[in-house]
Amino acid sequence: MLARLAENLFWAGRYAERADDTARLVDVTYHSLLGTADADEERSWEELLDVLHQTAAYAERDQAMVPQQVIRFLITDRDNPGSVVSSIGHARQNVRSVREHVSTEVWEAINAIELELQGRDIAADVDERPYELLSLVKQRSQTIAGAITETMPRDDGWRFLILGRMLERAEMTCRLLSVRLGQLLARSATPAFHDWLTVLKSASALEAYRKSYRTSMEPSHVVEFLLLSPEFPRSVFFALTSAEHQLVRLSPDSDQTWPRRRVGRLRSELEFSSVDELLAADLYEFLDHVTEGVHGVAEAVAATYFRHGPAGMLHLIEAS
Amino acid sequence: MRFDIRYRTVFSYEQPVVESQNVLRACPASDQHQQVLHYDVRTTPSSRVFSYFDHWGTRVDAFGVRLPHDHLEVEATASVETLPRQPMTASPSREDLLDDWFRDQHLEFLEKSPHANGGPQVAAEAREATKDVGDDVVGMILALHRHIATGFEYRPGATYVGVDVEEVFAARAGVCQDFAHAVIAMARALSIPARYVSGYLFATDDAEGADPDVDEVEVSTHAWVEFAVPYGGWWALDPTNRQEGSVRHIKIGHGRDYDDVAPLRGVYLGPAEHDLDVSVTIRRTAQQQQQQ
Amino acid sequence: MGEPLFSGYDVGQFFDEVMAADGQVRPHYRAVVDRLRALSPEELARRESLRNAIFRSQGITFTVYGEQEGVERTFPMDLVPRVIPADEWAMLEGGLVQRVTALNRFLEDLYVGEQAAIRDGIVPRWLVTSGDGYQREAFGIQVPHGARALVAGIDLVRDDAGIYRVLEDNLRNPSGISYVLENRAAMTRVLPRVFARHEVLPVDHYGAMLLRALRSVAPPAAGDQPTVVVLTPGVFNSAYFEHAFLARQMGVELVEGADLVVDEHVVSMRTTRGLRRVDVIYRRIDDDFLDPVVLRADSSLGVPGLLSALRSGNVTVANAIGNGVADDKAFYAFVPDLIRYYLGEEPVLPNVETYLLWDADQRAEVLDRLHELVVKPVTASGGYGMLIGPDADESEIEAFRKQITDDPRGYIAQEVVQLSRHPTLVGDRLAGRHVDLRPFVISGETVEVVPGGLTRVALREGSLVVNSSQGGGSKDTWVLADSGSEG
Repeated sequence: MLARLAENLFWAGRYAERADDTARLVDVTYHSLLGTADADEERSWEELLDVLHQTAAYAERDQAMVPQQVIRFLITDRDNPGSVVSSIGHARQNVRSVREHVSTEVWEAINAIELELQGRDIAADVDERPYELLSLVKQRSQTIAGAITETMPRDDGWRFLILGRMLERAEMTCRLLSVRLGQLLARSATPAFHDWLTVLKSASALEAYRKSYRTSMEPSHVVEFLLLSPEFPRSVFFALTSAEHQLVRLSPDSDQTWPRRRVGRLRSELEFSSVDELLAADLYEFLDHVTEGVHGVAEAVAATYFRHGPAGMLHLIEAS
Repeated sequence: MRFDIRYRTVFSYEQPVVESQNVLRACPASDQHQQVLHYDVRTTPSSRVFSYFDHWGTRVDAFGVRLPHDHLEVEATASVETLPRQPMTASPSREDLLDDWFRDQHLEFLEKSPHANGGPQVAAEAREATKDVGDDVVGMILALHRHIATGFEYRPGATYVGVDVEEVFAARAGVCQDFAHAVIAMARALSIPARYVSGYLFATDDAEGADPDVDEVEVSTHAWVEFAVPYGGWWALDPTNRQEGSVRHIKIGHGRDYDDVAPLRGVYLGPAEHDLDVSVTIRRTAQQQQQQ
Repeated sequence: MGEPLFSGYDVGQFFDEVMAADGQVRPHYRAVVDRLRALSPEELARRESLRNAIFRSQGITFTVYGEQEGVERTFPMDLVPRVIPADEWAMLEGGLVQRVTALNRFLEDLYVGEQAAIRDGIVPRWLVTSGDGYQREAFGIQVPHGARALVAGIDLVRDDAGIYRVLEDNLRNPSGISYVLENRAAMTRVLPRVFARHEVLPVDHYGAMLLRALRSVAPPAAGDQPTVVVLTPGVFNSAYFEHAFLARQMGVELVEGADLVVDEHVVSMRTTRGLRRVDVIYRRIDDDFLDPVVLRADSSLGVPGLLSALRSGNVTVANAIGNGVADDKAFYAFVPDLIRYYLGEEPVLPNVETYLLWDADQRAEVLDRLHELVVKPVTASGGYGMLIGPDADESEIEAFRKQITDDPRGYIAQEVVQLSRHPTLVGDRLAGRHVDLRPFVISGETVEVVPGGLTRVALREGSLVVNSSQGGGSKDTWVLADSGSEG
């Protein structure tokens, strides 16, 4: 398929997922902080900004580290290219330019969330009902995901879209884990229980988790579930496996493409890891390592499939 | 007179660029005043050059470099023999300019063109400059030529490529392209067909145009004008140097104005701006010197 | 006629496509009219809402694409089809093939031939060299079979005597074929029984027909299965829907300029599996924007190096570059002479009577009759700067008199044509509305005409303007397989 279309679909997938995951990250931070001390709270928001690589951008705003401000910055601020609203805008732009290659249902789902956000009193949402706002984003994201699954043929275009989504998800789930990891591991049993619950909820993982682990809230179980579960669709392992699957289908004649080698290596690292080993070593470092690995896969995808794509600014030459 | 010409342009980029596509018009024409003995174009990085003759009869060399490159060098080499020109002997009158057949044959050089689109003031200046010569077309052309050659100042930097001819008249200064466009605009205003000529001049420098006492010069590409004289054919005059076309004028091609015969035009994709270095070397070959 | 549908229907002083002057339904319309009469107003309303639903479901594409650049208008289809009997179509088809053949011959003569028509004084040289569509960069570019106007749209009108006349030739990027196909698809669903009673020539093979023509102009080196693409300016272009539609109909890639790259004078598209050679480009981008190296330098819609690839014979672009010279308003007047000159035949389809204002005699006559004629500037398009004599006041007429005298080459004048009318659904009644017809003519190895074409209808009463931008609609246009067909 045309490299431009593939690239647009890949990024549409990434941005749609990023919007969803950013909302989840804000959600987990916000709700786990209810009833905690101010100092803790400030540190938590700082950590969140850090995980999202938004510390410097937020500092430029010269705003206090209070929930409303940070939430607004991360959810609704159109001047922040990393906000949920901006991510949806980017996803929409990418889909728009490949309109012929996505179903009407997907296109409408993306438009719907954009229109819905435009129609709301965002300031009031942020101040009074952040939960509602964050749920809305998550729900609409699932509508998009559903439309993608139900209405698009399984062609290369679909594969690039899913590939983008899965790589973004792998990265963002790593971030979700690391955002609260330090505090969670350090805490005593009872509040930790509550916090882990929130983490799982934000990943829409609580019910699935309970099926596997019942009422246990051992950190190792939660980490294992979100990082290594082969069954849960939001786990890092699952996302990488799915990405690998798309890459196999994209280049059926060659099992040695660069992106496949990279994703395969990363996936098998997770596959053959045990959670106890990971917890005994530096889990932060491991999560960083996985995140970097995902960047490497994305780079390899671009170099392999998009390198022939449209190539930059047009300049004129005139010589006498 | 025989000359070896080397036209060379180097584009350098701060960062690699891709997909450069260019057209070059540097090959001397073959006509009744000159004969091309040899012509060759090479590029670095190398590329397949596709050549054709355009609507005006000028040879065009098209080439492109797709892969990343941080410089692009084009070198065209030519050997050409020029012949002495006959003096203009026709003496048509103003009425001959209005002959339907004559006008029809020269239509494209009578209409305004983007760089030679003078308005009523240019027309008035043309009438004023020729008011003393009566109906003699050759006299009119010479008067226009003298008017620009003596009334305009040769001053590089006074104008820019693509400047509007009205601005040239306002500045009353410019380089060879501007002198050519100015005299073309005036001639067309008087119904005298005039066309823009791009070429090389073997001379000490662009402003003086004198015959050098050396055999090799470094110059720029040059521009002059040809006028259609009823019963007399095309007549070349070089307003920048106040002279007629000569054995030292080596023509590349002609058109309505600069745009039709621009030496090199192209595009590339990439982040970087470019630096440009153009050089033209003309060598009068020794063998021909002895014959002179 | 007491039935509600036709109650109060007035033919007026116009040629009515359905009703003869004596109020009788013309034979080729009888079955359609009978069927429509049998529908109750409620039933008709139901069909209309079904039509709207069908168009809305496709209209999503229309409206969504345009949403960021003003209002994208849909092109409503009237439920009453236009019917052309077989013998009439045979005449039209012959005339269209003849006209487009002559126009292609002229374009070949001009750009790769010896310009014989100019040399022999059939067309004035100045008219060619001063034309906006004249492209000096097109000289020497060969097109297989000389199929320069590969897709031509010839606008026809019918005068008050029912005579078909050519109003305008469109040889650059005529659009509208997607409506022809969409209208037919909708019609067979909305009024299946009306449709079923006729043998109507199909139009749905258009995609195959166009693809065959495009493949036939591929460079010889391309082999048996040349790669064809549709080149669009992009999603923001108002005709993007049609570009995507045609690519889908032909099963070929829809590309933008940036998807194509030229390497060693060969055009390729950029795919996820590397560069893939392209042999034929059906472009829906204007000439000037095709290649920034030699045409408009500020164009980012085109493909740098395309023209050298074209000249090298490594790719074919359709329609060819420079066709615009032969479809402007002044050139139009010379087409009948070109038919005689190149083909040695009398034109089957007459022009609207046209006067050339640079000719002193014709100018004198026109200046006397300005109040009864239409005056059009040679270069402007879209009805801009026109004088419609019968509707103009003295000051407008005087203004045009001065403009014509100052610049006689800038204008032509034409007799006013009373466009024919066609019963069209207005509320729950039929009313006469003016129509024209744009058939599409495809040139490849042979010249073929898509049966029928796009019938445009001026929905406002009395209006002669059928353009979609000005409140026009369209009709499904049926060509009957057999003249005797009465259902």
